[in-house]
Amino acid sequence: MSIFEYNGSAVVAMVGKNCFAIASDRRLGVQLQTVATDFQRVFKIHDKLYIGLSGLATDAQTLYQRLVFRHKLYQLREERDMKPQTFASLVSALLYEKRFGPYFCQPVIAGLGEDNEPFICTMDCIGAKELAKDFVVSGTASESLYGACESMYKPNMEPEELFETISQALQSSVDRDCLSGWGGFVLLVTPTEVKECVIKGRMD
Amino acid sequence: MSRRYDSRTTIFSPEGRLYQVEYAMEAIGNAGSALGVLAADGVVLVGEKKVTSKLLQTSRSAEKMYKIDSHLACAVAGIMSDANILLNTARLHAQRYALSYQEPIPVEQLVQSLCDTKQGYTQFGGLRPFGVSFLFAGWDKHHGFQLYMSDPSGNYSGWKAAAVGANSQAAQSMLKQDYRDGLTREEAVALALKVLSKTMDSTSLTAEKLELAEVFLQPGTGEVQYQVCSPEAMGKLLAKAGLSQPAPEA
Repeated sequence: MSIFEYNGSAVVAMVGKNCFAIASDRRLGVQLQTVATDFQRVFKIHDKLYIGLSGLATDAQTLYQRLVFRHKLYQLREERDMKPQTFASLVSALLYEKRFGPYFCQPVIAGLGEDNEPFICTMDCIGAKELAKDFVVSGTASESLYGACESMYKPNMEPEELFETISQALQSSVDRDCLSGWGGFVLLVTPTEVKECVIKGRMD
Repeated sequence: MSRRYDSRTTIFSPEGRLYQVEYAMEAIGNAGSALGVLAADGVVLVGEKKVTSKLLQTSRSAEKMYKIDSHLACAVAGIMSDANILLNTARLHAQRYALSYQEPIPVEQLVQSLCDTKQGYTQFGGLRPFGVSFLFAGWDKHHGFQLYMSDPSGNYSGWKAAAVGANSQAAQSMLKQDYRDGLTREEAVALALKVLSKTMDSTSLTAEKLELAEVFLQPGTGEVQYQVCSPEAMGKLLAKAGLSQPAPEA
């Protein structure tokens, strides 16, 4: 079994009309045994930028802490928040620094950039960026997430519909995966507001 | 006579003085002054901008006030290029601490680490000391609001009200006279502006020449907030304190 599947995870981000949503499952397992059911994989960088880290939980937390460190220094020096594109390059560079002993995480980055243009992207554990216009997925449930997102996603969804779509896609995917689940955490970001939601699903 | 001793930072003179360090302090005496006042509900920093040429492009709103971390800021008096180096180390140190312990660095620990760096440049050969004095304003859970002053020798001390830069002696004694315990932040701002207006070399006090920054706890959330006063708000404050002069005829 791969170390990426040790704790189990499902992370997905979707773009709507002037908004985006990012969601993850809440399970923390050790192989097939569930250890916690309120695990946080989506982290805030600033009001309009979030990162979801699938893969090994310990590496996800450490990586997040290092990103906060770098982002804080950037904020102090530049007196502004990082653009999502810039942040994606930072994550990529940070991951490639550990090219031969990587963090076992596959990040999903989602944010609103200049003029509230939504931006989403994912990368592998050594920082190869993959940009997308519609949706990005990662984690042990990524295969079923691809299927669910491909069939449910529509371009230019309004915030309400986007929220419904990402929640349904996440829920139906984690039900097909033994290592992720236990409800989900959904975050919907529009230019004016952020909606955070914990959703229930099959809690087993 | 002192030639043999004052060119070396590391060597004491026969009278037991370190000339380079004293010269550095002298350099700060010519810099734009800054003063800080500790209030019951916050810390206030006020600074005087020395050069305000109309042709000078200012990229930042504040050039003497710097945020070091969310709970910690400082005012600078002295050589800005030296200060930038120290500010960088300070910010880095604060973030390293936060990364290791997942909590904000205690104010005094940050001040001490920065002063250790400053001290190093008064002892090891071939270098000159940093020509910078700082006023640190911050809040931590151990000691609440705090105000520290540091000088080029690496000495630092905690104060209720302190001044650095030009005419700091006069400002210091005025503060000593007018300060009382339990000031509110608003009163502290008024006191700081009054003292600065009396000790500044230039006769007229205008919003463009001053900078004001405050560290306080946000009502409701209890989060530490750092706020720099905008020139417009500054003008209003000055008018309220009766310190602003009518604009000179063009």
